[in-house]
Amino acid sequence: MDLHRIGDATWEIPRTGGMRVPGRVFASEALVRRAADDQALLQVANVAHLPGIVTASMAMPDIHWGYGFAIGGVAATDPAEGGVVSPGGVGFDICCGVRLLGSGYGAGDFAARRDRIMTELARRIPRGLGKGSIASPGLVSDVLRTGAAAAVSAGFGTEADLERCEERGTSRDARPDEISDKAVQRGSSQLGSLGAGNHFLEVQVVDRVVDAEAAAAFGLSEGMVCVMIHCGSRGLGHQTCTDWLKQMGSAMARYGITVPDRQLAAVPVESTEGRRYLGAMAAAANFAWANRHILAHEAREAFATAFETAPERTGMDLVFDVAHNLAKLEDHDVDGRTTRLCVHRKGATRAFGPGHPDLPDDLRGVGQPVLVPGSMGTASWVLRGIDHNPAFASAAHGAGRVMSRHKAKKRETGHQVREALEEAGIAVRPGSVGLLSEEAPYAYKDVDEVVETCERAGLAAPVARLRPVGVVKG
Amino acid sequence: MDEPGPSRPEAGARPPYRVLSHTADTGIEASGRSREELIANAARGMFALMYGPDPGDADEAVTFTIDSCGAEDLLVDTLSELLFRSETADLAFFRFTVEGSGNCRLQVTATGRSVDGLDLAGPPIKAVTYHGLEVIHDDGWRARIIFDV
Repeated sequence: MDLHRIGDATWEIPRTGGMRVPGRVFASEALVRRAADDQALLQVANVAHLPGIVTASMAMPDIHWGYGFAIGGVAATDPAEGGVVSPGGVGFDICCGVRLLGSGYGAGDFAARRDRIMTELARRIPRGLGKGSIASPGLVSDVLRTGAAAAVSAGFGTEADLERCEERGTSRDARPDEISDKAVQRGSSQLGSLGAGNHFLEVQVVDRVVDAEAAAAFGLSEGMVCVMIHCGSRGLGHQTCTDWLKQMGSAMARYGITVPDRQLAAVPVESTEGRRYLGAMAAAANFAWANRHILAHEAREAFATAFETAPERTGMDLVFDVAHNLAKLEDHDVDGRTTRLCVHRKGATRAFGPGHPDLPDDLRGVGQPVLVPGSMGTASWVLRGIDHNPAFASAAHGAGRVMSRHKAKKRETGHQVREALEEAGIAVRPGSVGLLSEEAPYAYKDVDEVVETCERAGLAAPVARLRPVGVVKG
Repeated sequence: MDEPGPSRPEAGARPPYRVLSHTADTGIEASGRSREELIANAARGMFALMYGPDPGDADEAVTFTIDSCGAEDLLVDTLSELLFRSETADLAFFRFTVEGSGNCRLQVTATGRSVDGLDLAGPPIKAVTYHGLEVIHDDGWRARIIFDV
C-alpha cells in the first residue's frame, strides 16, 4: 500500500482506481507500521470508494483490521451530493460506547472494601453466556423510543445523568417500527447486560491529571475511584445491522452503487432505505444508551451496598457517555463551507471542541470528554475535544488490537492472565476465565502511545489517566 | 495467515473447517463436497469457535427454511439464522443437516443443547459479516467467512 507522510502524525494513501478521495491515517510511525501488517490500510482505501465521501477516508491512531471499515475508521459523506450511509460503517454493535462514573471514594476506600465491592459487582452485573438482564423486557419498547430517558423514567439513574450523555442519551430520530421482531426478541432479555468479548466494567483510579482545569470541569481528581463501562446494543443491535445489511445489499443496485467489499453496502442518505436505516440505527442506539445507563445504576447500587450507604451518597456522578459506533448527521466545515454531513465512526469517538452548541453548558468551555479505554489490566484515558480537529471531530476509541485472539490464547492461559492481573493488584471477576487470555494486555497496542498520537495529530488533548483496580468481564 | 483449526482432516482431504487469523475478529474456512455440506460444516465451525467440540449430549432439534438465492446468501443467511435461534433459545448447536431445494431454498435442522453448564471456548459471535466472503465451487465447495465477535 502506497503511503506518504504528510504531517507529524498524519499519513496519506493517494487516490487510485475507484477511490473518490485519498485515505488519511492519523498515527505515529510505529502505529502505522502495525496497521500495514494486515488489511487495515486496504480497508481505509476501500471506504474511499463510497459515493459522496468528502475530504478523505480517515483512520484514528488505534486503527486495526475490521470487517468492511477498518476499526478506527471515520468517513463523512455529503447527503446533498448523493452521499451514502453504510450500515457496515456503523457496525453490528450499534452505539457501542463507553461510560465513566466518578465517585466520592479514594483508592484507600476501595482497597479497604475491595472484595465486597467486587463481589457485589460480580453478583449484579449480568454478563457472558445466557439470559440475564437488570431491566424487564417490558421496558424495551419505551427504550427504543427514548433511550436512557426511558430508563430514568423507570427508576434507573437520574435526570442529571442525561446531561452528561452524548445526545443526552436519546437519539431523537429513532424509528422503532424499523426494528424487526427478531431484533426485539434478541434484545428483550438483554436490557442491562454487559455481554462478552472486549466489553467490561472496570473500577479504576485516577493516577495522573495532566489538565487540571478540564479534569475539574469533568469532575475528576487525582486518586478518585471511577467506574468505566464498555458495552453496546447487544443482540438487538447485532440483529438490526444484520437485517439492514441484507436489505441494502439488494437496494444498492437500484441506485447504481458498487462497492469493493460487500460489507460496505450503502444507499444514499436521502433515499427511502437510507432514512429507514438511520431510524432503525437510532432506535438501536437508544437501546445502547439505556443499556449503559442501567448498568451504571447497578454499579452505584453495588458500591452503596458495599459502603453501607445510599446510592445518591456514593458521589458516583456521570463524567460522560460516548458512542464509538454510529453514523450521525452533523455540521462540519468542508472547504470553508458549513455542510451537513453523515459522519460514520466505526470504532472512533466523537470529539467536539470547546464552544460546540451540542455540549452541556458546564462543559462547553473545555470541550467534550473523550473516553479511551485501554486493554484489560492497562491504563485508560480521558481526553477532551479541541478546536480544529482534522477528522470531523473524531478521536481514538481504545488501544486497538495488535494480536489475533487465537495467538493471544496460545501465549498464555486465562488462569495465567488472571494470576498476572491479581499480582498487579487488579481484582478480576470474569464470566469465563478461559476467555481472559484473548483480551490480555499483550493483545493490544500501548494505549499511552495511542493517546500521545491523538494529541500530536490534533485530534484531542489528554486530561487524566486512569489505572484499573478491578475488572468485571463477560 | 491461516491457523490450524480444531478439526483434523483425513489424509488428503480438506478439513470440514479451519480457523482463519484475523486481528480483531475471527473467521473460518469451511469446505464440503456439496453446497449443503459446506453450509453444514460452516455452521459446525461457527459453533465450535464459541462452544468447542460436540459434547455428545445435544438432543434438542430446531428446523427452519432459508429462502435466499445464491450460495453466498444461503450461507450467510443460514449462519445468521442459527445465531438468532441460539441466542433467543439459549441453545448451543453441534449437529446440522442441510437439504437444498433449488438455488433459492434450504431446509436446515440444527441439533443442540442448553448453554447452561457449557464453558465458552471463544467469545460469543455477534454476527456473520460479508467482509472477504468467498464461496468457491471447483472440485468441491469452499468458503471463507469472517465473524464479528
